[in-house]
Amino acid sequence: MKPGSVRFAAIGDMGTGNPAQYEVARRMAEFRQKYPFTFVITLGDNIYGGKSPDDLRKKFEVPYKALLDEGVQFFASLGNHDDTNERFYKLFNMNGQQYYSFNKGNVQFFALDTDYLDPKQVAWLETQLAASKADWKICFFHHALYSSGAFHGSATELRQVLEPIFVKYGVQVVFAGHEHVYERVKPQKGIYYFTEGASGELRAGNLKAGPLTAAGYDKDQSFLTVEISGDDIYFQTISRTGVTVDSGTIRRAAQTR
Amino acid sequence: MMPRLISRILAGSGRIALLNGILLLAAGEMPAQSPVPAFQGFVERVRQYVTSQRPVRHLRTTNRRKQIVERRAELVRRIRETRATAQQGDIFTPVLADEFRQVIRSAFQGPNAINVRNTVRRGDPQPGWVISINGSYPDDLPLTTVPPSLLLRLPQLPPEVAYRIMGHDFVLQDTEARLVIDYIPAAIPTVTRAPLRSGHAQH
Repeated sequence: MKPGSVRFAAIGDMGTGNPAQYEVARRMAEFRQKYPFTFVITLGDNIYGGKSPDDLRKKFEVPYKALLDEGVQFFASLGNHDDTNERFYKLFNMNGQQYYSFNKGNVQFFALDTDYLDPKQVAWLETQLAASKADWKICFFHHALYSSGAFHGSATELRQVLEPIFVKYGVQVVFAGHEHVYERVKPQKGIYYFTEGASGELRAGNLKAGPLTAAGYDKDQSFLTVEISGDDIYFQTISRTGVTVDSGTIRRAAQTR
Repeated sequence: MMPRLISRILAGSGRIALLNGILLLAAGEMPAQSPVPAFQGFVERVRQYVTSQRPVRHLRTTNRRKQIVERRAELVRRIRETRATAQQGDIFTPVLADEFRQVIRSAFQGPNAINVRNTVRRGDPQPGWVISINGSYPDDLPLTTVPPSLLLRLPQLPPEVAYRIMGHDFVLQDTEARLVIDYIPAAIPTVTRAPLRSGHAQH
């Protein structure tokens, strides 16, 4: 762990309230004891099914209680199973917005709502990215622009809209969910794409690894941890049972080592 | 016709000037001979809904889960009360519905149709759902992604409402109350997997 680094976890498609979500959450809390990440980004489908107060409790507050109690912040993005009213839930840190940005150290994060990528949101993203002075620009949202998942696959139309903007303004890393597997895609036009849609849900055996796939895991639930220090990103993907299923380093404007 | 369409979109928002790539994408889908829909009166009808049939809201974030749910329930109750006599076609009048159908059709049939259809197909579409005016979009159903190239070609909406796709129907939804404000039946072509389930939007 590097002093002054930005440390976070990424989870997606987790809000089931089922035992697997709880087990991943426990593993996250356990992992945090030796690797103290300070916040979590969510990649959508935060709350599946019912949206009652009890649902929010069982599918978010209880499983992540150990993290919340230790002051870990959650920054949510919305998936297609989410209620847009989740943006008013303080613990999701969306400040009432369906899409928003925040800074941590030398990193600027951009949370998008890919269920409804209207011209207003696209213009907002362009404006924000153009004004960003951050060393690292990271976007996160629900639908994966590149995916080898058999159920949904790549969101090609969203990619047509977003990828040229990412390239133009130097976005280096993108996190998404929707496909209930983990996948790290080979850099596309210099951008690193991660899918982590298996932090509660899982479609075992659904990853059809192909030319896009740099690494993947579809045998169990998982979560992703990231540390950004200077020009380097260190990532580690951990399964529900605590096995590291992928790890590596990304150097800014360079290749994965 | 395309320059007029682009001019109209640009006039709607100066920031859209940033969207050159998307405009080209949309331009590629619109048949050159198509008349440009004017959507005359649509924005005014939507504005009337937002200002006259929906209570003014100044929402803040809260830690209280119950408060979020209660606020939504209260909003639903008041909208239904105000719009008790609302009918399908009040906002999407027959003329407007034809114009929307024209734009939707061109998006689903143009050169970019494969991507538009993939957007809907990969967004967990819910075919077979029967909707009703002032009916709720069920909490346990996913949203279908609205193709961004389609959104670009439709009148922009205030944040209180959004376009949605529910099965084959094109819907105007209150984003916070999740109510169906109006809809155009059978406007969306079949792009789906086998139906996951079917039923009725609940009051």
